Amino acid sequence: MATEHLTQDSIRSTPLSRMAELAGTGAKVGLNYLKYYGQRAVSPESASKALRDDLDDVNARTVYESFSKLKGGPLKLAQMLSIDENLLPPAYAAQFAQAQYSAPPLSWPLVRRTLEREFNQPVESLYDRFTPEAAHGASIGQVHVAYRDGQKLAVKVQYPGVAESMRSDLRVVKPIALQMLGLREVDIAHYFTEVETRLLEETNYVRELQQSREIASACSKLPNLRFPNFYPDRCSNRVLTMDWIDGLTLDRYAASDALQSERNRIGQILWDFYMHQIHGLKRFHADPHPGNFLVNADGQLCVLDFGCTRSITPEFYALQFAFLNPALLDSADELEAALRAMDVILPTDGPAQRQKVTHLARESIELLTRPFRAGRFDFTDPSFLRTMYEMGETNRQDRELLSLRGARGRAESVYINRAFFGLFSLLHRLRAEVETCGELSMQRHSSNQGPAQSFLKKGLG
Amino acid sequence: MDDFNAPEQPSIRHRIQSAYLHELKAEGRPPVSLFKFCQILGISERDFFSEYSSLEAVEIHWWRHMMDGLIQSVESGAEWPSFSARHRMLAFLFAFTTAALDHRSLLLLRMGHANPLTAVPEWSGLEDRFEAFAKSVLMLGRQQGEIASRGPVTAVYPKAMKLLLRSVVAYNLKDESPKFERTDAFIEKSVAVFFDVMGRQVLDSGFDLLRFLLPGMNKCA
Repeated sequence: MATEHLTQDSIRSTPLSRMAELAGTGAKVGLNYLKYYGQRAVSPESASKALRDDLDDVNARTVYESFSKLKGGPLKLAQMLSIDENLLPPAYAAQFAQAQYSAPPLSWPLVRRTLEREFNQPVESLYDRFTPEAAHGASIGQVHVAYRDGQKLAVKVQYPGVAESMRSDLRVVKPIALQMLGLREVDIAHYFTEVETRLLEETNYVRELQQSREIASACSKLPNLRFPNFYPDRCSNRVLTMDWIDGLTLDRYAASDALQSERNRIGQILWDFYMHQIHGLKRFHADPHPGNFLVNADGQLCVLDFGCTRSITPEFYALQFAFLNPALLDSADELEAALRAMDVILPTDGPAQRQKVTHLARESIELLTRPFRAGRFDFTDPSFLRTMYEMGETNRQDRELLSLRGARGRAESVYINRAFFGLFSLLHRLRAEVETCGELSMQRHSSNQGPAQSFLKKGLG
Repeated sequence: MDDFNAPEQPSIRHRIQSAYLHELKAEGRPPVSLFKFCQILGISERDFFSEYSSLEAVEIHWWRHMMDGLIQSVESGAEWPSFSARHRMLAFLFAFTTAALDHRSLLLLRMGHANPLTAVPEWSGLEDRFEAFAKSVLMLGRQQGEIASRGPVTAVYPKAMKLLLRSVVAYNLKDESPKFERTDAFIEKSVAVFFDVMGRQVLDSGFDLLRFLLPGMNKCA
């Protein structure tokens, strides 16, 4: 658990001032772009890449500064974008990544009020001891340390009113995000609906309690994986009480002097956990942020925060993982059929568009299935993730690609991509080498489908 | 909160108050005729006027008494002495909205259509009491450096707190969120804004710079 320094920043209040804040951000980003185009017009070709990086950097700071003043929706969105680094130039990602740790804390009177409102009892009778200062922030709440019957507990308190704010914030953020990413609303409306649904689900702590218990029990056979114990009598829609787990968050563990063999072991636990969820349970923890994993003193991997989970249907699973079949890349017809089935190629596409998309898909599949084809993959090598970022960046600037109209891909892909991309990033941070075939070969037995996963929409950005 | 007069032996004052509030809640308007009101209660007008100077005074006193009880209860909280001014204001407003749940119908009647900028006559006693409380909280804030002294402007702060209280009530009455949780967020955020504005900040440094520059500007002119 990170005990980051919490600052008492000003808290933006009404929807109106939130709107004003976000509109101001949009204007500032716009101004930065104007400055960039102005400078580019008078700069030699060679300097333009550096200028573009400068612009991304300045814009990221501007956007982040305003996001960090807001709680709820925008903060959550910032975090989501930061995990999906491929969706954003690296400069944005670096700034957004900070969002996890820098939400302004709720005052103690409000925390007390929230607990007493939720349970109709004074805090003193709910817990033997309760620490008024938050131990750290969570995206839509904050975590306090408490004690009951000698047990150290983590009490997650949700920001009041955040569920309602989320909806209006998303409505405000959407056009800005579209502008920043150069996308058209109709083309990605289905993705926004998906994201909104998941974000609203995250505000329901009762659901989170249930999710975490179900996934924990379904994963109980996986060795060295630990889940916190929850206390339902101290959980409500807005409050979650669970065991406090001491340990290093995965990013801190990655930065520590842990042995290579230990890194590989932790990486393998993480990999197996995700493969079991996706291929076995067909339901997964869709928030693979380093703050959501701890390595404890016993060398176990502890999984926190089941607010964001996604289920996939067997039908979607079959379509999605058909892309892992190596034979697919050898047959142009089969590849095109698979892309059509996933709505990546649309019936209205002409031959040129089909060719463009297929080419891109082939490139993405080749790259993104690399860990699976290798059997054992070393995520330490930065070139794998870098190639992925670069591909995203190239595609984002590809005018021909941007001019492709139509709502492509499936909404379900958003979170499966997020999970895999997050997993790859975590493993890279860990500098781990993992066996990527164990679970998959097991799956080959259980279903005849050649399991694969596609990051097509990644490529399409 | 209704039973602050000894409940075992209802005094005339208490009976007057209960009958008044009952009629107000049930009919949606205060008693119209003093004569009839006394007749129903079985008391003489002299009895009535020995307790209250008018029918309106019954309600004004009642609201004030509610505020009084509330302030006493928050001030006797175990954590109160350790609270900063900001936390005291927050704790009070949260306690106020909790207590208000018992009187929501009355609040709707009195404040439902009121604009936070205009005073509601029935609330005059309550607001006087609240202003005195706000002054003491603000005084603590000034002593502890939470609130900047800005000369005559400082005198406006208690009035601003009064507007804050009315806004909280107005917000609460329109709030449809579960358990009125958005009112809690509104209180937290608006108190933060007030205290941020009252704290020493860019406004003061800006004013300081302006004062420093102004004589020079006059010279130039």
